[in-house]
Amino acid sequence: MNKIWWKILGSVLVLYTAIAGLLSGVPHLAILNETIRNLYFHVPMWFAMLTLFSISVFYSVKYLLYGKESDDIRAIESVNVGIIFSILGLITGAVWAKFTWGQFWSFDVKQNFTAVAILLYFAYLVLRNAIDEQQKRAKISAIYNIFAFPMMVVLIMVLPRLSDSLHPGNGGNPGFNSYDLDSRMRAVLYPAFIGWSIIGYWIYTIRFRIRTIENKQNS
Amino acid sequence: MQLLHQVKYLIKKEVLLEWRSKYALNGVLLYVVSTVFVCFLSFVSIAPVTWNALFWIIMLFASINAVSKGFLHESKGQQLYIYTIASPLALIISKTVYNVLLMMLLTLIALFFYVMVFDYVPQDLGLYIIATVLGSLSFSTIFTMISAIASKAGNGGMLMAILSFPVIIPVLIVLIKLTKNAIDGLDRSVSLDEIGLLLIINALVAAVTLLLFPYLWRD
Amino acid sequence: MKKIIFALMLLLSSVQLFAQSNDVEMADALRSNGKIYVVVICIVIILVGLLIYLFSLDKRLKKIEKKSSDKN
Repeated sequence: MNKIWWKILGSVLVLYTAIAGLLSGVPHLAILNETIRNLYFHVPMWFAMLTLFSISVFYSVKYLLYGKESDDIRAIESVNVGIIFSILGLITGAVWAKFTWGQFWSFDVKQNFTAVAILLYFAYLVLRNAIDEQQKRAKISAIYNIFAFPMMVVLIMVLPRLSDSLHPGNGGNPGFNSYDLDSRMRAVLYPAFIGWSIIGYWIYTIRFRIRTIENKQNS
Repeated sequence: MQLLHQVKYLIKKEVLLEWRSKYALNGVLLYVVSTVFVCFLSFVSIAPVTWNALFWIIMLFASINAVSKGFLHESKGQQLYIYTIASPLALIISKTVYNVLLMMLLTLIALFFYVMVFDYVPQDLGLYIIATVLGSLSFSTIFTMISAIASKAGNGGMLMAILSFPVIIPVLIVLIKLTKNAIDGLDRSVSLDEIGLLLIINALVAAVTLLLFPYLWRD
Repeated sequence: MKKIIFALMLLLSSVQLFAQSNDVEMADALRSNGKIYVVVICIVIILVGLLIYLFSLDKRLKKIEKKSSDKN
């Protein structure tokens, strides 16, 4: 965990996407204009969030199976970091929407559903605060976390595809794939996914380490 | 075989208890009837879209009340007794099946009453009834699990609402879309997507519930 | 007290008026050069968000350090 190479890898990838994202050639589209470059910064936030929430579910399952306290801390901390990324994704999306669709909140399905998905994880945090006993809290919140995750996936990945959306790739709108996510953009977007996920994972490990020390001091 | 036997026994017990007091049935029916009546008195005539949304909102609160009763209002002694005679799997299956039956009965009665009071019949009544059956199915599967979580967590009612709303919203959105199709009398093949999605969500929730409930139940 | 609040409100409303008269221009600025400044804003938001987060983490760490130094 303390090996440094993956942290450097993450930093290099993010740096690369920032530089290449601003300098590389992009398709010329009306309305979007240069904001298409936001794709490299807005979408990876969601990808990082999904990665962190998946990590959380993984550790929740592990907690239910083995009952180790550290797994519970891992689950909660990765949710905390995931929520930060989701809020960043929401705000950048809102700004982007303001200058392309005209409003900060365009009542686009994807916007609404991601807001609901964030609510889902806020409910998880509320649930944690509602229970005092440590073991009980860990168990019940792990169960809710696993229960909520498939719903979140349905909300973010499946439902928007069924309804009309302003986002590309949903409800009749052609996806970026079909006309403009050419190889140049892929070469930046995919490293951005990996890079930001690694950064998210890094922050999560830091939070986890702080939390374990705190718990040790308090006990 | 043993499981089936236990499930049958537990369902019989639930039905018998309910039949003796008729608390849930009468209480929720009264709730639905009075809300429908209040809505009628305040709206008098109503656009089909609002009619539809109103129906689902009424059913949402009715089902939260009806289903959450199952776990939240059970005393510690009762739970302990059931714990000794049946496996957790049998318990959750029986509760879910019983809630599904109860909710189907309730929604069908409510729909009948609602149609009668507002004097408005959706164009494709058959599809609408299918949708309400699917809706009561998904409401009861989701709420049963969440009420179990909330009851284990201690303070029931408030937590129940916080935990269940983000989870139920995707289902509600699909349901409203499906019933909107039924109201407009669209061809049924258009609605197959939504029906499939609802069935998938239900299967997912059922699978997760069956996997998780044994962990939740044992202390 | 009331007067002060009233004066403040007037001041605020005048600020809003200023903002309104400038608003169109500002939007133009953000939309100029192929809306590249929207991308800049988004990058800034992400960086500011992460930096604020870093500061809060730092604060927490400081608390722990204090505690552990108290113990020794």
